Amino acid sequence: MTLSDNTVQPDAVLEILRTVEDPDLRRDIVSLGFIKDLVVDGGKVAFKVELTTPACPVKEQLQEECRSKVSGIPGVSDVDVTMTAQTRRASVSTGPLLEGVRNVIAVASGKGGVGKSTTAINLALALHSTGAAVGLLDADVYGPSMAMMFGLDGRPMVNEEKKLIPLEGHGVKVVSMGFLADADRPVIWRGPMVHGLIQQFARDVLWGELDYLLIDLPPGTGDAQLSISQVVSISGAVIVTTPQDVSLIDARKGLKMFEQMKVPVLGIVENMSYFVCSDCGSRHEIFRHGGGERAATELGVTYLGEVPIDPAVVVGGDEGTPIVLANPDSPAAKAYSKLAGSVASRLSILAEQLGGSQDPVMPGPIEWK
Amino acid sequence: MGDTVRPTGIRQAGPRELAIDWSDGERSVLDVVGLRRACRCAVCIDEWTGGQILQPDQVPEDVRPRRIDLVGRYALSIDWSDGHSSGIYTFDLLRKLAAAESSGEKP
Repeated sequence: MTLSDNTVQPDAVLEILRTVEDPDLRRDIVSLGFIKDLVVDGGKVAFKVELTTPACPVKEQLQEECRSKVSGIPGVSDVDVTMTAQTRRASVSTGPLLEGVRNVIAVASGKGGVGKSTTAINLALALHSTGAAVGLLDADVYGPSMAMMFGLDGRPMVNEEKKLIPLEGHGVKVVSMGFLADADRPVIWRGPMVHGLIQQFARDVLWGELDYLLIDLPPGTGDAQLSISQVVSISGAVIVTTPQDVSLIDARKGLKMFEQMKVPVLGIVENMSYFVCSDCGSRHEIFRHGGGERAATELGVTYLGEVPIDPAVVVGGDEGTPIVLANPDSPAAKAYSKLAGSVASRLSILAEQLGGSQDPVMPGPIEWK
Repeated sequence: MGDTVRPTGIRQAGPRELAIDWSDGERSVLDVVGLRRACRCAVCIDEWTGGQILQPDQVPEDVRPRRIDLVGRYALSIDWSDGHSSGIYTFDLLRKLAAAESSGEKP
């Protein structure tokens, strides 16, 4: 068989794709190994681009760049680019605990009332909407609220092996202390009980395969935060704060805690940043503005962005349909989607820095001989 | 962020030697009896004064780890044959102890 002049060579396709760069990983998508299943049939070219997260914020741009560059090769009549993703681990696995979970994201705040749970829920749903498999653990052992905010009031089932099967809310697997405690009775736990409970959550919940497991931590820096950082290998932490300067002090405490536990802080998000009036459309900065960004600069971490105050966020939480689903075009929902993209990017970068290695440091405990 | 030195391998290297390979290429070999004596837990170290409560000669030469577990991303916990198990050895501490041991100092 002789090759006619207008036959497209696979090498020519790869050569042009080498000029397409992943903006986060700062390398071309061919050497990153993203190109899969390249098929050239006459003038028809089809391939897959396998990203390191389905929540890649520049997925569409990358797809378009691939398509237009390959279309420019002489003889190409048709280009089919499929975007897929294989989420990488941004932390070394610690053995059998949370085996199928690729990344654990802790959502933390230095103090209560900053909208940490709301952020965790909407972040989870925004990640899920990109096609990622997402779980959410409400570890706010002292005041669990996730069950209500998700509109879930059943109790999870337990299988024959005494493993807890998470409930599913809007496609996200949810386990909350609220499932195990009565709604109208406060939960009073002493330190060792909290540690035991957290171990149980890590060991006895059937999460299955997840790209991201978000853990909604209780506010502050106490037993629960410490226990989770010890029991689980957290890939990264997101710190939620409000615009007031005073929350900088609390954000710093949270940051120091994660630093000591060698948990990378993915960044700071400023919640309740501003209010957009639904009548006049103008922006009001009720609690001043920019505290989160100042905190991030001062503490040397990434500023992940800001989420506006929207009464619909609160209604969504109370009625069990979070804003990302109830009103996806609202400024708050868009802010959460942007946050999801930033968080996923930061984790992809960390995974790349780990050398793409998925080998555990220690497959299990060492038994001394 | 991401520049933290982390262990890439942890294993028993001899009857009383624990070997740790680090992501920066360093290798630490630690004498386990010395490790037991260097325990920083609240039972072994006075939390107010920082003084050592544990008498080094109370630790028998034949003490060995029974089991070593990872603690999150920052430490190891060791369950000792003398029944002590409350100590957490941060990676930073392990690096320091290894450096002191190899330079001949007492940790």
